[in-house]
Amino acid sequence: MKKGLLGKWLIIILPLIAAGILLFPTFRASQLDKQRQELVNAKNETALAAFDKENGETLRKAKDSRLKLGLDLQGGIYVTLEVDVVRLLEESAMREAVDDIFLEVIEKTRQQVDASGDDDVLGAFLKNFDAIARPKGRKLFSYYDTGDNRDLSEDAIVKRLERNINEAIDQAMEVVRQRIDKYGVAETTIQKQGTRRIVLELPGVNNEAEVRSLLQTTARLEFKLVRNNVQIVRAFYAIDQLLKNKGVAPTASTTGTVASSGATASATSTATVASNSNSNDTTKKDPYAGLTDDQKRAKFKKDYPFTSLFATFFNPPEGAQNRQPVPVIYEKNEFPEGDYTFQIADEQVAEFEQIMARNDVRRIVGNEYQALISAKPEPFYEKQGVKIYYIYGVLAKAELTGDVISDAQATFDPTNNTPMVMMDMNADGAATWARVTGANVKKRIAVVLDDRVYSAPTVQNKITGGRSQITGSANIEEARLLEIILKAGALKAPVKIVEERVVGPSLGEDSIRKGILSSVISALLVVLFMIIYYATAGILADIAVTVNIIIIIAVLAAFAGTLTLPGIAGLILTFAMAVDTNILVFERIREELRRGRSLRAAVDEGFKRAFNAILDSNITTMITGAILFYLGTGPIRGFAVTLMIGIIVTLFTGITLSKVFFELILSRGATHFNLGQPAEDKATA
Amino acid sequence: MQFFHDTKIDFMSKRRLFFFMSIAINIIGLLVVAIKGLDYGIDFVGGTEVGIKFSGAAVQTEQVRKVMDEAKFTGSEIKSYGRSDEFLIRLPNVVGKDYTSTAILETLKKSFPNSTPTLLKVDKIGPKVGAELRSKAILALGLSFLMITIYIAFRFEFLYGLGALVALLHDAIIAFVISVMVHDLGIINLEINQSTLAAMLTVIGFSVHDTVIIFDRIRENREKLKNMPFLDMMNLSINETLSRTINTVLTAVLVLLVITVFGGEVLQGFAFVMLIGFITGAYSSIYIATSFVGWYLESVKKYDLHKETYATLTAKAKVA
Repeated sequence: MKKGLLGKWLIIILPLIAAGILLFPTFRASQLDKQRQELVNAKNETALAAFDKENGETLRKAKDSRLKLGLDLQGGIYVTLEVDVVRLLEESAMREAVDDIFLEVIEKTRQQVDASGDDDVLGAFLKNFDAIARPKGRKLFSYYDTGDNRDLSEDAIVKRLERNINEAIDQAMEVVRQRIDKYGVAETTIQKQGTRRIVLELPGVNNEAEVRSLLQTTARLEFKLVRNNVQIVRAFYAIDQLLKNKGVAPTASTTGTVASSGATASATSTATVASNSNSNDTTKKDPYAGLTDDQKRAKFKKDYPFTSLFATFFNPPEGAQNRQPVPVIYEKNEFPEGDYTFQIADEQVAEFEQIMARNDVRRIVGNEYQALISAKPEPFYEKQGVKIYYIYGVLAKAELTGDVISDAQATFDPTNNTPMVMMDMNADGAATWARVTGANVKKRIAVVLDDRVYSAPTVQNKITGGRSQITGSANIEEARLLEIILKAGALKAPVKIVEERVVGPSLGEDSIRKGILSSVISALLVVLFMIIYYATAGILADIAVTVNIIIIIAVLAAFAGTLTLPGIAGLILTFAMAVDTNILVFERIREELRRGRSLRAAVDEGFKRAFNAILDSNITTMITGAILFYLGTGPIRGFAVTLMIGIIVTLFTGITLSKVFFELILSRGATHFNLGQPAEDKATA
Repeated sequence: MQFFHDTKIDFMSKRRLFFFMSIAINIIGLLVVAIKGLDYGIDFVGGTEVGIKFSGAAVQTEQVRKVMDEAKFTGSEIKSYGRSDEFLIRLPNVVGKDYTSTAILETLKKSFPNSTPTLLKVDKIGPKVGAELRSKAILALGLSFLMITIYIAFRFEFLYGLGALVALLHDAIIAFVISVMVHDLGIINLEINQSTLAAMLTVIGFSVHDTVIIFDRIRENREKLKNMPFLDMMNLSINETLSRTINTVLTAVLVLLVITVFGGEVLQGFAFVMLIGFITGAYSSIYIATSFVGWYLESVKKYDLHKETYATLTAKAKVA
């Protein structure tokens, strides 16, 4: 008997000890954190340094294995990034081989993947390739390099593409991790989800704009020769003609507001360009005569569906009489040779880029040229409240790319005290840079980051030593972000944010406070109810359930789970459910006692008979918990985890622990026990 | 203490009335919802939703709306729940437009110099993710119904599994309909989002608890009281388990009530849906799940449950 009793005590004590061990890091971390915070608040630098030296490692370890709070409680940003695999497939193709058929396959694949959310992008691409390109006599090797001349099979290409995709995702994770580390966020989690998504949790961060540029920047840095020449102007003219014939998709209702805001921006707006050209050209009959301003704009837009989006100026060559830029109108395909400038208002940029991305338009522009927009609005107009950007015609082939960058440093430009990022190149890069700048003195080279022109300075003389800079950052914070991004290196494939949730710090604090308040109140109510209704047995149940909650929290910490707000609700709900298990048993024992059984027999029978119902009801909850865990995201998952851990632990405490309590009482020879049953039942008991 | 001592309530005599009344209420409720339409959360429609709280001078919804329109945040919707100083600003997904909360906050700061806006939260859901979450939600609901029915059918009998399923549907529908109505009245923000869905799933999981308790007792009693008329035996089982049905629901209701009142906005809706589901769960285990079993035996199998006992029923089943 003694030995049996010891075993029973162990059943109560061992789980508590285990829970204590598992929860110790959580306790320790919060203790150390508090001490550290006090030092930080007191601004005691030396003491802080000493503290970090002594306890830094312990604190870090404790934090690693403590119970973590979800972002909804802590505040922070949750981001899901998706790697643009379609773009990767498009860009892996040999540039000179890309044709309409290939672009059609890419377009179709993008539509399908976007619509279905399918994970197997390569599979969809190959299927479309078979359906569209193969009947037209194209093979995969018409577009792709195998990377290995000994093996020219299609299989080799597919394998290589597959490898590229996997590498791109792993590399994206690595780059993103480096950027986040350098940005300085503690305790982030970065996880791969499916085959092309990355989930990030950044606790304590809430500057959405910074996080977005930090994550979404592909960081493809390129140096390209500017060619604002007559070829680009002719291409623009051809696009106008194409759209006029084919009809352009109706543009958004923004047109009206755009034209009016453009009108304020001196000579840049379409309307002004139109009237300028009219006044210069008085010999011809004015087609705009007698129209209201709105009608003029509408007609102008209709006549020049593409070039009305921006303003074009011809810059007369050096030595000309009048060096004022001359507005250009795309009336006839006759343009002087020379240098041009293009300006576009903020509202038109999206439409411009949409048109430039069209397959038929891309065919006109060709593979040699590109039209890129500046990254920042022109400061002169911005001061007047209007955002005007430049369009640059550049050679598509980059003279130099970002992988030669060996270091980057955010600093101020000494000449005008504006923020900029200095870049150092490795030896190879420096040599190429010297050659390129040497060959293009007095010409402009665009510094392009992710297809946006940061600056396009005129080369004054050959640059040796491999230095360059990116100007145009609005402030030093922005320059610092750019520095981080350049240092971490470029992504192999662009990523985009598909889901983003920000929880502000005040909401997090508020949630914790209210979560704890409601938990405590409801727990007290349930505890009281049990004592009032089931008397002494109720107290036993309350103890068992409290142990239950401690074990659940410990298990949650052990499995590196996070406590979310719905998780707290799940915890307190589990509390109520654990009590239910006891209610089922107690009711059954009361019933057996009423039937005249001895206490011993009633207790045995009560536990045995109640077990079926307890098991069945817990398993159904487990089923929904598992489904929620599998299909839910973020905080809801936290709820599902607490619910499931709660059920398993409850089955243990509700059946084993409560039973042990009864056994211990019975072992003292008790024949009566107060389950709060009415008096007449007690008499029979 | 004991609320129900040795009760002998004749639950089963009114079973038809309650059963069909419940079905009628369900259908009417669903029709009302169908006419009114649902208010989906940002999770399922996609777009950007920003929660802002103002401190200082009071700000009206109309003012916020005007400021947002003037600042060209095209298509923005402004809502306010419960408290007058908190607003939800919702923006649709537009190609080429990338709204940041930083920009919205700046705009509001400039427009309302006397009240300080603080950012509560942002949810930005791309169109693809919205569609994925929607289909996952439907899958989760369907799967839960299916799995629980299979489990009950496996643990008891197919007929009982079916009874549990009908009760589940009843609870889920009532919780759903009441949530939609409470949302419409503007009392609690209960738009259809991930967390209301999670609450519905939990209702489904827990609603079975009481049903299982009664079915378990019927399973026990029918063996023990082989020769008692089946209907009486069902009544007895319900009466015997009444205390636990009520007490288990009571503890859950206590907890959920407290969370609904004190738990703050995020948990409020979540707890409220469960609260409704748990209360109807207790009712439905008696008048839906058990009544369904009775109704099936009487109306489909044409047994007279006032006369037939478990012994005669099993004998007939064997012959058949």
